[in-house]
Amino acid sequence: MIEIKDLRFIAPESDAEDRRRAIVDGIDFRFEAGKFYGITGPNGSGKTTLAKLIMGIVEPTSGTILMEGRDIGNLSVAERARAGISYSFQNAARFKGITFRDLLSIAAGTEDEDKLAAIIARVGICSMDFLDKPVDAKLSGGEIKKIELATTIARNPKVAIYDEPDTGIDLWTIGPMVDLLKREQREYGVTTLVVSHNRAFLEAADAIVLIRDGGIAYSGGFEGALPILTDLSVCGYGDICEGESDVRCYR
Amino acid sequence: MFDAIDKQLLKEVADLEAIPKGAYNIRKNGKLLGREVSANINIENNPEGNGIIIRVAPNTVNESVHIPVILSQAGLHDTVYNTFIIGEDSDVTIVAGCGIHCGGSKSEGHEGIHEFRLERGARMRYVEKHVALGEGTGKRILNPTTRVFMKQDSYAEMELTQLGGVDHARRVNEAEVGPGASLMITERVLTEKDQQAKSENELILSGEGSRANMVSRSVIKGDSRQDFYVNLIARAKCFGHIECDAIIMDNGVNETIPALKAQHPDAELTHEASIGKIASDQLMKLMSLGLDYDEAVNRIIQGFLK
Repeated sequence: MIEIKDLRFIAPESDAEDRRRAIVDGIDFRFEAGKFYGITGPNGSGKTTLAKLIMGIVEPTSGTILMEGRDIGNLSVAERARAGISYSFQNAARFKGITFRDLLSIAAGTEDEDKLAAIIARVGICSMDFLDKPVDAKLSGGEIKKIELATTIARNPKVAIYDEPDTGIDLWTIGPMVDLLKREQREYGVTTLVVSHNRAFLEAADAIVLIRDGGIAYSGGFEGALPILTDLSVCGYGDICEGESDVRCYR
Repeated sequence: MFDAIDKQLLKEVADLEAIPKGAYNIRKNGKLLGREVSANINIENNPEGNGIIIRVAPNTVNESVHIPVILSQAGLHDTVYNTFIIGEDSDVTIVAGCGIHCGGSKSEGHEGIHEFRLERGARMRYVEKHVALGEGTGKRILNPTTRVFMKQDSYAEMELTQLGGVDHARRVNEAEVGPGASLMITERVLTEKDQQAKSENELILSGEGSRANMVSRSVIKGDSRQDFYVNLIARAKCFGHIECDAIIMDNGVNETIPALKAQHPDAELTHEASIGKIASDQLMKLMSLGLDYDEAVNRIIQGFLK
């Protein structure tokens, strides 16, 4: 469905403009149609950047992205959306004067109340009275993530990318959220890419893609990823870390 | 009675397709075009002959007054002083506004000075739209002033809108909010080309338990300029909030100065202000839903000024 070839994204270091670093460093990978992928790895490893490169939110330094065999490298974000890629942002945008109904109508391409209600029922995690809520700074972190999820699904995508979908979501909603993404995969054949640290999403995935230092450190089943994930969870910087009072983490 | 331009202007400023129901006073090119009063709402000329006095009888509910002004005469600068007396425990909607059609090279302008006296327990919704149309090169000038005096437990909601076409605007809003009274002002202004708009506001919370909330939304396109000033002055235990946001597009310039002045120890005053371009995360979200860049910008601006 999505094939990436020698994809690279090089950017200036955040603390030194003259130094450059490969955030994504020559990744080759094929996301098969209808499969559910859990993309994981340490903070700053390049997971979100990889997702943004596929959506066209950031432009690659070099490399190729194919969708169903077609080069989509020159397509804008809107064109990729219309080609069937849908994206759920980690930090969802907040507006002034735009409601959930407005976003859902744009996403679904209809203002028909019954059709919007059907989408809300399909998503299942937000109620009808959400519809006229302004998508503004007053929404809680959990509420806005539910809206983000609903607008992603309302696109009826071929490929759905979810960047940290569980941020701000209460523990009791994560299970239903995983079920929802699996149901979308099963019933609509959606190729699903979930960037997450959450075991619930990773266990639900058909394959894990483990990103480290801008490259793929592992791809395959969850069980096979476990030793590496466990290793990553142990901090190797104990000798230079000054403990809890030190605000800088070297990992 | 109305020609095509009049009808277009009335539609734009007051959503009127025909003569409105209830009380109205329509002024065209400095002259009275039509007036109707109702059993509870009286309209008469003021003694000075330079405006009207609108009296809403106590306990009048669910009634409206339309007082649009339309201007299409080149070179005319019209000034009116209107007074609104809103009786005790009444609940009314006032639809005002001015539409200018400029077809020539001479400037046209209107200054509407509106004074509102809200009696105890009165509730008023005031809707004022300013528009300017026409292909002429003459400057279109609109300088509205509102002065609101609110007695105990009264409530006023004011929607003040100027969406394009006006070359120069000096907008003044003043209010004195009495005990237990609440004032909500929402001002939306869009400027483009080389238009200039200035909004000067002074809101005094003088009564215990009074509240005021002013929301200002500015969109500054082209080479236009908008300045927004507000003084929120607390003289009693009260609550006041200012929210002013400006979106700058192209080469627009904006100065926003919200001032909070607590002259009473129990005053609670807050403000939030922002000036900037359209947030990129908003654009990106809408584009990820399939909208092109221009469509996304339009949706964001539409919502912002809604």
